[in-house]
Amino acid sequence: MVIIKEENFMRTKFRRTVSFILAGVMITALSTGCGKQAKDKDESGRTIVSVSNYPSAEGKAKDNFDNAIAKFEKNNPDVVIKPDQWTFDLKSFYAKAAGGQLPTIFNSYFTEVGPSIEAGYISDITDVLKKRGYEGKFNPVLEDIIGRDGKIYAIPSSAYVLGLAYNVELFEKAGLMNEDGTPKQPKDWDEMVEFAIKIKEKTGAAGFQFPSTDNAGGWIFTCLAWSYGADFVKENEDGGYTAVFDSPEAVEALQFLKDLKWKYDVLPAEMLVSNSKTEEYFGTGQVGMYITAGDYPTKLKAYNTDVDTIGLMALPAGPKKHVTLLGGGVKMISANATEDQIDAAIRWHESSMNYKLTDNVKESINNTLSNMVENGILVGVKSMSPWSKETEYLNYYYDMIDEYANSDMNHVKLYNDFVENCPAEVRPEERICAQELYAILDTCIQAVWSDENSDPSEVLAKANNDFQNDYLNNY
Amino acid sequence: MNNLINRDKRITGKSKIRLFVKKNASGWLFLLPTVLILYTMVWRPTVMAGVWSLFKMRAYTIGEFIGLNNYKMVISHSQFVPILINTLKYVFWSLIIGFIPPVVLAIMINEVVYFKSASKIILYLPTIVPGIVCMIMWTYIYSPEPTGLLNMLLSKVGCGSFGWLNNPDFTIVGIIIMKTWKGLGGAMLLYYAGLQNVNSELYEAAVLDGAGMWKRAWNVTRPALAATLVLNFVNQINAVFQTLDEPLTMTGGGPNGASATLAYQLFQYGFRSGGKSTGQAMALGVIIFAILIVLTIFYFHVNKKIEENY
Repeated sequence: MVIIKEENFMRTKFRRTVSFILAGVMITALSTGCGKQAKDKDESGRTIVSVSNYPSAEGKAKDNFDNAIAKFEKNNPDVVIKPDQWTFDLKSFYAKAAGGQLPTIFNSYFTEVGPSIEAGYISDITDVLKKRGYEGKFNPVLEDIIGRDGKIYAIPSSAYVLGLAYNVELFEKAGLMNEDGTPKQPKDWDEMVEFAIKIKEKTGAAGFQFPSTDNAGGWIFTCLAWSYGADFVKENEDGGYTAVFDSPEAVEALQFLKDLKWKYDVLPAEMLVSNSKTEEYFGTGQVGMYITAGDYPTKLKAYNTDVDTIGLMALPAGPKKHVTLLGGGVKMISANATEDQIDAAIRWHESSMNYKLTDNVKESINNTLSNMVENGILVGVKSMSPWSKETEYLNYYYDMIDEYANSDMNHVKLYNDFVENCPAEVRPEERICAQELYAILDTCIQAVWSDENSDPSEVLAKANNDFQNDYLNNY
Repeated sequence: MNNLINRDKRITGKSKIRLFVKKNASGWLFLLPTVLILYTMVWRPTVMAGVWSLFKMRAYTIGEFIGLNNYKMVISHSQFVPILINTLKYVFWSLIIGFIPPVVLAIMINEVVYFKSASKIILYLPTIVPGIVCMIMWTYIYSPEPTGLLNMLLSKVGCGSFGWLNNPDFTIVGIIIMKTWKGLGGAMLLYYAGLQNVNSELYEAAVLDGAGMWKRAWNVTRPALAATLVLNFVNQINAVFQTLDEPLTMTGGGPNGASATLAYQLFQYGFRSGGKSTGQAMALGVIIFAILIVLTIFYFHVNKKIEENY
């Protein structure tokens, strides 16, 4: 009897202990996950800077990152770098920002600078940049993108304009390559259609591809429509905004897209195409041309695309304008950062990217390009630079691209010339409700592709009206 | 005397509480982790979304109180009604296409003599295919290119290519076929388990009474499966009403919004608006929650009735 009682007692005691331990572990785990303002100094008084995009997988990229941290901390004994594996994505960005969990300095895109300023999630870095001699060093076309009201909120880390990517093999089969290895350049959209028809006739592959989902179609359509003379949003005198893309010019641009499918039949049959699907079609040699930016070779890595089979040239002109869309990447600094952290974060950024050509910067450029060559990514495209033409960085970077080039430079010569002496107007994306505009334009493209009898003017009139009522009136 | 009685009552009351705590403490502590997780991941976000839906949100930062303005914006949005209709179409087609096949298959497997286990495994296999893999695979099956699997089959029988998910009239049906293929095995096993409880003597008696296959299915099998049928019916409506992954992955809500659902629209508000429409995302979340809570109450009501009856 006594033994049984003791057993019961032991069992109860054991159960209670286990439950206490379990509860304790859970409470600790949950409480450590709760938002807490990160410290800005460590025990020895060094400024803590957390940095995004730390590679998660073991390998050369991670080793390079670790080496860069060690070297930076040696040269900057007042700073300690905390690597953070988070890379920018829209799904987690705003929640992290609101919770004060962003790394001190992180990568993002041109498109996110405006909304981040409006939400108050990034720091004004004007004073520190001035102090560090940045005045006049950024490419002037980027000023409107990285700043507001004379203040700077982001450091551009890459920039590109849209061009026309083409498949070298399909171009050769269609007789569209010159003897020197450059492609024939379609001067306008009509000529591009002629090229697309030739590709389809001679090779059976689709001549051209245009995205239509995930806001990607709308994004590129804005640029296409600008070249027809269209505009999208007009600012009113009272500070409000009016949608103006029910214009004949925008209708003409949408009619052009409709004709690609129903009149010329140069598109693939799949019409619900995201950016990545477009890249898949192009990267696997199923389409002759698509509109993309100078950073496209990295995106084709997933398809093991042979670097000798892809090239890039200038964007064709429209009937009213020759215009291209500007995009790129930026480094932003969290709104929680102190003055010391902003200064240290910019110094960290300078260790890999600097208008001054330091040894570290040279090493970083060499590492990046050699990694691209090792991974079979095309090196040769000279995208638009975040720096002005006078900086040492730019000249060295372009020289190194020539040195590391892993394919015929003539395949990308027309794009490089287009960037260097751009004959086209370079426009940043629409600023007001851009993502909502792209989403609604995606549906317009799908509407004219899914119904041969659709009327582009009706489609755009409805979209214009919906955009005004759903978004601009509430802006 | 009275004082003594009261003191005894107090002591009894106190010791009752002590006894209750002593008896249940470990139980409550075992529940605590789950309660904390539910609080952090479900209850708090649900309540906060309801509260924040009344404020002007700038991403996840709270602005001024705007009452029901976010709800007004969501409901007056030009796509709200078409998307609500789409969502109901998903539910409708899922009941037409997806509700009966698992029952039929469960009965068939119950009836077959040979390859019973093999059939169960084969039919259950799609359920263990990861969701995203399944969606990508079906995107290729439905590809409107001549190289798409279904179009290749059509060309073998001399037909031309079809647009499949590119066709606004087929896109929801196509997605429901895929969802049915994926979920059929799980539902089928539930029905099959239910069938194991049916007394075989009932079938024998029905046969002696001259009942054919259909009469047996209606008069013997159906009442035996009634509980599972009703619960699956309500569960299916609940699950399909929240469809998000498929339009997001397979169609981007297209063509021309034909496959967009309320959950997809919530995703657009929440993650593709540069943080401008977070308030509307929360308002729409509350609207979906309200619709589903009605269904859930109905579900519990039915569940209770079934438990009482069977």
